[in-house]
Amino acid sequence: MDIDGDVEEAASRRVQVRFVTKLKPPFKAPLTSIAIPSNLTRLGLSAVVNNLLKAVPGNEDWKTEPFDFLIDGELVRMSLEEFLLAKGISAERVLEIEYIKAVAPRKEETPSLHDDWVSAVDGSNPGFILTGCYDGFGRIWKAAGLCTHVLEGHSDAVTSVSIIKQKSMAVESTADLLVATASKDRTLRLWKFDAEQSLDHPSKIRAFKVLRGHNASVQSIAAQPSGDMVCSGSWDCRINLWQTNDFDAGGDLVSIKKRKKDTDGGESQSEGEAVSTLVGHTQCVASVVWPQYGTIYSASWDHSIRRWDVETGKDSLNMYCGKVINCLDVGGESSALIAAGGSDPIIRIWDPRKPGTVAPVFQFSSHTSWISACKWHDKSWFHLVSASYDGKVMLWDLRTAWPLCVLDSHKDKVLCVDWWKGDSVISGGVDSKLCISSEVSVQ
Amino acid sequence: MKVPKEDSHDAKAQKKEKDLEPKKKEEITMKRVEEKEEEKAQRASEEFPSDSDSDDEGLSEDEGTVIESGSQSELSEDEDIVSTSGDDESSDHKGHGEENLENQIESDDSLPNDDDFSQEDEEGQSESNESRQAVEESDSSEDEVAPRNTIGDVPLEWYRDEEHIGYDLAGKKIKKKERQDKLDSFLASVDDSRNWRRIYDDYNDEEVELTKDESKLINRLLKGKAPHADFDPYAPYVDWFAWDGAKHPLSNAPEPKRRFIPSKWESKKVVEYVRAIRKGLIKFDKPKEEARLYHLWDDSSSTERHGLAFIPAPKPKLPGHEESYNPSLEYIPTQEEINSYQLMFEEDRPTFIPKRFTSLRSVPAYEKAVNESFDRCLDLYLCPRARKKRINIDPESLKPKLPSRKDLKPYPITCYLEYKGHKGPVMSISTESTGQWIASGSSDGTVRIWEVETGRCFRVWELGDTVQHVAWNPSPELPILAVSAGQDVFLLNTGLGDEEEQKKIKEILHVETSTAPDGSGNNSSIVSWAQDDKHEGIRLTHFKTVSSIEWHRKGDYFSTVMPSGESRAVLIHQLSKKLTQRIPFKLHGLPVSAAFHPTRSMFFISTKKNVRVYDLLKQKPIKKLETGVREVSSIAIHPGGDHVIVGSREGKLCWFDMDLSSQPYRVLKCHPKDITNVAFHRSYPLFASCSDDCTAYVFHGMVYSDLNQNPLIVPLEILRGHASSNGRGVMDCKFHPRQPWLFTAGADSVIKLYCH
Repeated sequence: MDIDGDVEEAASRRVQVRFVTKLKPPFKAPLTSIAIPSNLTRLGLSAVVNNLLKAVPGNEDWKTEPFDFLIDGELVRMSLEEFLLAKGISAERVLEIEYIKAVAPRKEETPSLHDDWVSAVDGSNPGFILTGCYDGFGRIWKAAGLCTHVLEGHSDAVTSVSIIKQKSMAVESTADLLVATASKDRTLRLWKFDAEQSLDHPSKIRAFKVLRGHNASVQSIAAQPSGDMVCSGSWDCRINLWQTNDFDAGGDLVSIKKRKKDTDGGESQSEGEAVSTLVGHTQCVASVVWPQYGTIYSASWDHSIRRWDVETGKDSLNMYCGKVINCLDVGGESSALIAAGGSDPIIRIWDPRKPGTVAPVFQFSSHTSWISACKWHDKSWFHLVSASYDGKVMLWDLRTAWPLCVLDSHKDKVLCVDWWKGDSVISGGVDSKLCISSEVSVQ
Repeated sequence: MKVPKEDSHDAKAQKKEKDLEPKKKEEITMKRVEEKEEEKAQRASEEFPSDSDSDDEGLSEDEGTVIESGSQSELSEDEDIVSTSGDDESSDHKGHGEENLENQIESDDSLPNDDDFSQEDEEGQSESNESRQAVEESDSSEDEVAPRNTIGDVPLEWYRDEEHIGYDLAGKKIKKKERQDKLDSFLASVDDSRNWRRIYDDYNDEEVELTKDESKLINRLLKGKAPHADFDPYAPYVDWFAWDGAKHPLSNAPEPKRRFIPSKWESKKVVEYVRAIRKGLIKFDKPKEEARLYHLWDDSSSTERHGLAFIPAPKPKLPGHEESYNPSLEYIPTQEEINSYQLMFEEDRPTFIPKRFTSLRSVPAYEKAVNESFDRCLDLYLCPRARKKRINIDPESLKPKLPSRKDLKPYPITCYLEYKGHKGPVMSISTESTGQWIASGSSDGTVRIWEVETGRCFRVWELGDTVQHVAWNPSPELPILAVSAGQDVFLLNTGLGDEEEQKKIKEILHVETSTAPDGSGNNSSIVSWAQDDKHEGIRLTHFKTVSSIEWHRKGDYFSTVMPSGESRAVLIHQLSKKLTQRIPFKLHGLPVSAAFHPTRSMFFISTKKNVRVYDLLKQKPIKKLETGVREVSSIAIHPGGDHVIVGSREGKLCWFDMDLSSQPYRVLKCHPKDITNVAFHRSYPLFASCSDDCTAYVFHGMVYSDLNQNPLIVPLEILRGHASSNGRGVMDCKFHPRQPWLFTAGADSVIKLYCH
């Protein structure tokens, strides 16, 4: 009797809630407060909101949409009752629950097959995807399975690729695009192509500029936001800065000499040398990012993350984190948070604006092997995608410690991951596939 | 008759109580004698009840009062009679005799009459006799005459010169009666014929006149007869008891005297107790007070001692006699019963199963007699029979104080990456100096180069023969791989490095004229250097299987070890000059492995038992490290150069501090199976051992620059994960040159990377 009564009571325990949102009108629910059972989870809340939206006049043919719910800036990942208990929020007052579209890919494109491991991917230009492959070629993909250009020239595996944004042109334009690739053959190559060309078979392009200067495999490359320079990190412990435009006289001289040697290719190919070198790391520089004009962030196998001032060539920040770091990205809140992953299954996020802190502000540890790549969403402050050697790609939100979504599309290690067009996750791995998971509804 | 008995008894008593004090002894013997006599007498009276003396005695004791009282009572009555008879002077013999006697008495009396003193004395005596009689008489006569004397039983001489005798109730003196004048008394006696009967009672201060009966009585007594004339001492015995018809004869013997006298034995006991008390053996004192003194500096161990220090051996089981019978058939167990014993508990099972013999004579001697007595002797000999002094030590305190593992991070813990591709057991791995690549050789005949970061196989060489050992050139400018496969050693160009380096490598790895091994015997012909175009390298053909290759730190020299190469087992090759030379030392035993000192021109050669250290410049041996293990399998030199670890086939790991001793500083027994390889980390204070038990152990091995401080060795982690294959486990382990990571090569053809 008592037990039954308890159960009834628990079932009938209700909380007064009001659903609010920043979404546009078709997703706006009435602002009236309603009483809902306190044992609802995210799915239950989602059903409630969907019903509310269906009741809104004009939304008769409403399609069920998954939502995520925020209470006081934190995503609800358990039943409402437990959440309130855990956070110490009183159930007496009317609870304001903000709902957002659930961040999860709704569509899985057919994977684009490569000849070898896909080692690098860049989706910063919404018009195409640039991938680097262990067969030494870079590839331009218009869409899933549609390869338009093959970048030929590297004699060894491509390790990193970057699309160079040119400030002279509009971001959306697709003509005369500039990309850079880094390879284990110690060189970087710059390529120019016109994405508008649509051919039946992929056209082969040769690099217009070869950048030599590293003594060991180049591990990563990053372009300046303005597009004038690129920087590269290498196994020779150095970070080299290179000019992208070929109006440099010294470079021309060399290029002429080299061009004479390189007689097999008909196209002109100039050579460039490093403008400057940032020395300080003692081991392989595994990752570089260039988020602002004068600042370069680098991560190395010597367990340190450094911030370099391009003008002076000195490191202004040196964070020691105790683990080998393979990937690094800067983004999030005011593009200041550093996310890094390495030789352990934990993604750590630091806030360098807090002086003297070496403890990460966030740690995500749902992966089971090395983290190979992590990328911030370029619009959202909260969203992050990560790839790991355990074959999983995970979407993270800073507002919860659980992954928003686990993409299991790869069979083997995932080597690279990036956002594309703001709503797709592209990833490449050891299974030689470029997977595109689209329609991820990040605000 | 009595004397000897007494003597013997005396002797006995003396013997019994030797320790008695002499005086006491005398007393006791005296007592004994008295008792003895009494007893004797008693016994005699019992034995001879009809004896006259004894009868008299008994009678006088038993019935005397009655008779006396009778006579008393008669006295007063018979006074007249006596007087009359006296007057009559009756005529019978007796009477006549009495008369004579009386006369005599009279004469006697009369004689001392002139002497007052004597008479008085006599009178006094008689008086006292009478008074005694009176005392002895029954109470009845006493009651009749009130006591006239008040002085009590004191000598009358005390009152002889006094006027009075005693005092009356009022305290006044009782005057003596005025004595008659002697003359008057004489005259009176002359006048009175009965004067002789008159006796002055001194005691009561009165004159008493004896009656005739009384005088007769006195006469009888004087004659020694019974005082009463009518008493017949010889009267016939009347047996008043009805002896017939009684079932049991009742003795009418009087109660024995001993029942009325104190027990001899009780008194003896009492004497014994008394003596014991006197000697202080029995004490009635209060319980002893506890000592107020104690040992100030005493340790508690002495108080804990209790029980015997010596433990007597347990008694052996007494021998039985089951085996010595020839039991009849019904006692022989049947086969079923014997089988059923097997189902019983082992403790309940009978130890001996009787057997049938043809005759008792054929019952054999106890066959286990010798064994059992031997066992018993062995038990007595081997088992300690003394209480062991146990030291009370907390076992936890014996553990060495080791730092916590957390404080010794980083060290490899978890396996994150696997390098898969080999088809057979991976025999050997080697890391490139920057840590970007590792090379591995397998028994499937291939050598592979892997990218550490991703686990991608970068390059494969098919050498055909089982690859025993791979070794990267330690120089970062010369990414050359030395591989031993069978009898060949290959120097392979890995293709890494930039163009200039490649050019240099190609120059180095070029042999103009291949030197074929000929029988001329000079050094160059030990191995042949030949260009190997197929694998883009140099092939050095040895005459025996090469088991290991070690590079010198500068990357120009390398040594090869051929365990079965006898005097040419260890060779040193120079890459730049393509030269080969023998080591100029005599080898003691089969070489297992060799190594260059990381900083100095020293060379380590480990044989199966020992490790020898040679100076290459001076060309002389420096040191011999005695491992004390059965068979050395591997050796690693600390990057500092002063410490060596040696792994053995019995799973022991020896750490040598070369400055300290030629004995191991520490021996770690951790692997249950053969240690296949040991390794030091180049920069972190770590070392590792891998074994055929499919595990690798990681240790913290801190070496201090302070010479006074011994190296700190802490076991950190057991790395598992490899599978066993054909009894082999982990074949090789190498640390990443820059990270605290460990590569392990397994017989399951997988290479694993353990990261921190």
